[in-house]
Amino acid sequence: MRWRAAVALLLAVLSLSACRRDQASQVRLCGSAGQLRVGYVGAEEGRARGGQAVLSDQDLARMRDLLTVASRCEVLLEPVASPEQARQRLGGGEWDAAFLPAGLAALALEGSGSGGYNLVRPLGQRSQSRSQLLVPAASTRRTPQQLQGARLGLLPRGSLTGFYLPLYNLHGLSLRSVHYALSYGELLEQLRAGKLDVIAWDAALPDPGADVRLLSEDRNAIPVGALVLSQALVAADHQPFLQVLDQSAAQLPPGLGYVAGVLPEAQRLQRLRAVVNNVESWDLPLEGQPYAVYGRKLQLTPEDQR
Amino acid sequence: MRFPVLQGWMVGSGQRPLRKQLAITLSAIFALSILVAVLLLNQLFGLQARDLIDQRSSFFMDAMLAVREYTSKDVNPIVAPLNEGPGVFRPEAVPSYSAQTVFSYLKAKPEYRDYSYREAALNPTNLRDKADSFETGVIERFRNDPSLKVIAGEKATPLGPMHFVARPIKITKESCLVCHSTPDRAPASQLLTYGDSSGFGWKLNEIVGTQIVTVPQKAVFEAKDRSLFTTALLFVIAFVAVGLITNTVLNQLILRPMREISRKAEEASVTPATVSFDERNRNDEIGLLARSFERMKQSLAISMQMLKDRQGRS
Repeated sequence: MRWRAAVALLLAVLSLSACRRDQASQVRLCGSAGQLRVGYVGAEEGRARGGQAVLSDQDLARMRDLLTVASRCEVLLEPVASPEQARQRLGGGEWDAAFLPAGLAALALEGSGSGGYNLVRPLGQRSQSRSQLLVPAASTRRTPQQLQGARLGLLPRGSLTGFYLPLYNLHGLSLRSVHYALSYGELLEQLRAGKLDVIAWDAALPDPGADVRLLSEDRNAIPVGALVLSQALVAADHQPFLQVLDQSAAQLPPGLGYVAGVLPEAQRLQRLRAVVNNVESWDLPLEGQPYAVYGRKLQLTPEDQR
Repeated sequence: MRFPVLQGWMVGSGQRPLRKQLAITLSAIFALSILVAVLLLNQLFGLQARDLIDQRSSFFMDAMLAVREYTSKDVNPIVAPLNEGPGVFRPEAVPSYSAQTVFSYLKAKPEYRDYSYREAALNPTNLRDKADSFETGVIERFRNDPSLKVIAGEKATPLGPMHFVARPIKITKESCLVCHSTPDRAPASQLLTYGDSSGFGWKLNEIVGTQIVTVPQKAVFEAKDRSLFTTALLFVIAFVAVGLITNTVLNQLILRPMREISRKAEEASVTPATVSFDERNRNDEIGLLARSFERMKQSLAISMQMLKDRQGRS
């Protein structure tokens, strides 16, 4: 009957008009809160002085836009200067994705309670980093064992070359005090000013000058950093997100060293993960307080050393 | 203007049964009514959806201000001293942190998932809150016109157009300046977490940022379309019901008696004596028609009798 056909047609038109604004389905990659919370520490740690220039305003805006386009989701991009803050964010599962240096990437893999993270892209082609300890050139201290009673300068907890490895290598010593700074540059200033007796340093940094000298160097080569994704995002369809990042790698900050289309080698972090876990199990030093570097120290197995 | 074809098709030119003509006419009237109503309601619901979102946004911002106030008055005095010590910086002492954290919990509820809340500043302590170019423009407008209390409108983003409502963040408490005036006044743990280069130099009564709630335009349209679709569906259901009832009533009151009268009239044309138009007792037009047929039947019967008598005499 014609009138029935007319009613059916009208219903169809109304239904279509109600649905007309539905876009073609697009793959979204969001965290549990409906946003993508991204942490940014960068591929290297301790370079940004006073928290400045972790990411310039221009790079911040460009990265935020790129991540938004890649994820099709609202992005909360948090550049962080302090490895300690990054460590807390990772531990609390407060980031869905993060651009991390090697130490924090190792920590992220452990996934304390938050389900952990997976490494999805390397940051930086190769690393010259090694953890070192520097003393003033005029210092009488020649070996790490002579640092008994010294004032030690470290980067905040979470840094591999600036925190975990120096403490691991100073196991058994009692220090007069431990002090923190956000950058190696600030530590060096304090060493020169005589406020510290020894500081953590990274071999990849420019030569600090003739007024300081190397006391010791850790033998572990530091692998490159990584872009990590939370387990929830890895379980979701994250390939379109990575594809967009890979295609737009040139828009990412040049210092980040994002390597498109390559999976990081997680096993290269194995030994460092053991070091991080080991040190994390200790009572850790507080700013300006005396500290006995003591705790269970695991001897690393040959598997760890591979 | 006259459209004889359309007029004939709708109101009937006697080419179709009455029931069909009425159904077509009613369908056309109803469809036109629904179309006009949907067009008008589309505008009305659009305004209402936007109003609702603006109201919710205002509520969010008021709620977040209350959270900030609570943090500033009740939480900060307890937590801030801990930040002076050698431990880690506790952001729970910061009003902005509390507000954004509370909102993130609210956003976990499906009905608020589309809403986003930010406290963007030109020079924030946490670079996550750094204003982008659009937010910087909004803050500058507030700074240039202190009488401006709210800005609302649309903005383009990589995710599509967004509706936004923004209010200024003004430093009205001296206590805010402990963390935001100069690094030497800030807690050591704050400096160790965020450094000494950002989030300083704020002044009392200065507009430093904006509270901004954004909602995808798509969500506004979806809310409107949902209301519109429901209303249109109700219209259609109501009109279909009215059409069916009208049709049934028409059938019972007019068509069926008319068909009955027609059948009896045909029968009366052959044997008038055996037919009775019982509908003549009705007081309506059907009764009138039946009485007319009854009179015609009687006249026919008399005429036939007279004809029969004449034939008998001859």
